[in-house]
Amino acid sequence: MNGKHGNNDNTLTEVILESISDGVFTVDHHWRITSFNKAAEQITGVRRDDALGRYCWVVFRSNMCESDCALKRTMNDGKSFVSSSTTIISSEKKLIPISVSTSLLVDDEGEVLGGVEIFRDHSLVEELRRELSGACGIDDMISQSQKMQDIFRIVDQIGESDSSVLITGETGTGKELMARAIHNHSPRREQPFITINCGALPDSLLESELFGYKAGAFTDARTDRQGLFGAAGNGTILLDEIGDTSMAFQVKLLRVLEEGDYTPLGSTLPVRTDARIITATNKNLEGMADRQEFRRDLYYRINIITLALPPLRERREDIPLLVDRFIDKMNRRKSRMVSGLSREAADILASHHYPGNIRELENIIEHAFVLCQNGEIKPDHLPASFLHHPAPLPMQDDPADYRSATAASEAETIMKALARAGYNRSAAAAYLGIHKSTLFRKIKKLNIVLPTIDGRRRSS
Amino acid sequence: MKRMKVAMTVWGNRISPVFDSAQTILLADIEDGKIVDRRREFLPRMVAPGLARMVAEKGIDTLICGAISERPSQIIKQSGIKLLSFVGGNAENFLEAYAEGGPLELFRMPGCCNKRENLVSHSGPLPGEVKSES
Repeated sequence: MNGKHGNNDNTLTEVILESISDGVFTVDHHWRITSFNKAAEQITGVRRDDALGRYCWVVFRSNMCESDCALKRTMNDGKSFVSSSTTIISSEKKLIPISVSTSLLVDDEGEVLGGVEIFRDHSLVEELRRELSGACGIDDMISQSQKMQDIFRIVDQIGESDSSVLITGETGTGKELMARAIHNHSPRREQPFITINCGALPDSLLESELFGYKAGAFTDARTDRQGLFGAAGNGTILLDEIGDTSMAFQVKLLRVLEEGDYTPLGSTLPVRTDARIITATNKNLEGMADRQEFRRDLYYRINIITLALPPLRERREDIPLLVDRFIDKMNRRKSRMVSGLSREAADILASHHYPGNIRELENIIEHAFVLCQNGEIKPDHLPASFLHHPAPLPMQDDPADYRSATAASEAETIMKALARAGYNRSAAAAYLGIHKSTLFRKIKKLNIVLPTIDGRRRSS
Repeated sequence: MKRMKVAMTVWGNRISPVFDSAQTILLADIEDGKIVDRRREFLPRMVAPGLARMVAEKGIDTLICGAISERPSQIIKQSGIKLLSFVGGNAENFLEAYAEGGPLELFRMPGCCNKRENLVSHSGPLPGEVKSES
């Protein structure tokens, strides 16, 4: 290429760079910005003149800068990275979702001059995706199920009222998040929101936690201690697992609800409380009241407004939405670039029963993040208990075929044994009563796909 | 002079570029224009508003940080903490300049909005400097 041609090419490249809607900047070996195109100015809100010569992190301000810079990995390993998801913070404090691709900046002689980062603003895409999904959310909760949207619609009104609220639902359905949402939508939002798990504490401890105590009330009570009702002030207090409290405690709680006061342990003087009480349970309080396991008078007192949160299996349409949200959350928290679920993993998660509800789903995604560094979450990134679902069985032939059926059964038995042994191959072989080398041979022969868990390291 | 407690999210010896994903905080006490005490603490990985609430509970007067998104910024300001955001550069140099009441303009991150929000040191406005975020 002669000089004239070279100059023309450079000019053309500049024109192209200035015309595209993707932000592009380059850095030298000292991380100083050496070029910054027009789209980069528009997305970041930083003018080219202000950006040139500055360190890339003070200009780009991405959540990845500090811990997992894609450009740094490219510069270290010489590898390009394509479409990593992250967010940047604009000069107006707006969080802008972007995708980032990085590669080395190499001249005609093959000399590495630095790195190139190309980024695309996904704000509009995210907005449209939210609209398309028809998802409705409140605070940290999101759902497109009709039942949940009906609840979301009245949270404002419940927040404004001062009535007692009982939130019911299986474990992991978001009872605490719902209580917090009610608090956040109430005039008490600037006051404390306090949660206590009543089921976790014995009566005496629960009372001292909630009502506080006076010095000398019991052996270790050397000074007065304010209880959670005192700490809550005019805020909200969530009594979780109210169904697990004793009848004796229920009497005291009823008094707080009816009289608006309580007596700290060791005191004779009642103390006023203006805290709003929200209760939550995963039990059927009405049934318990019928069996005289829960005070009926307290049940009616706390049951003025009841919000019944549906289990995840009754709002399956939310699974993809929640998965996306948890993946986004974990990507940001762990500075990863996991793009989503593979079709097989999505099918497995869609058909699961979720006894632990949303919390279980979140834990599954968190588990997958341990094994999956980037790209798609695949079935072998899911917890071991899911492994019998994907059934990556070797048989491709007619299931009626005797050999295939035997192989399938054998593969399933081996996979179960491996899962049970925490993927320690020796332990699995011992469990099956076969030699370790036989197990390896069968794994190979049956094309069993194993997760990347190292059972030996795990067990040590 | 009253002792002031200052927190700064840091990344090695620099001011952390993004508060929302910061992993370390430097807590410093300033008295009579001098840094009299300082210590570093690791920050847990958490969502930005949670991080802001946690920092706000550290009993500080001022938070110095790089870029910060809207929600955590609101939480810090609602907690009555002075926020000096969108600053970058060497953490110690900034802290010394801040303690001495020196000019801080050089530490400003590039961007348009900050032009309207002049940085100010703890000892009061310097000539030509008007106000900080509060």
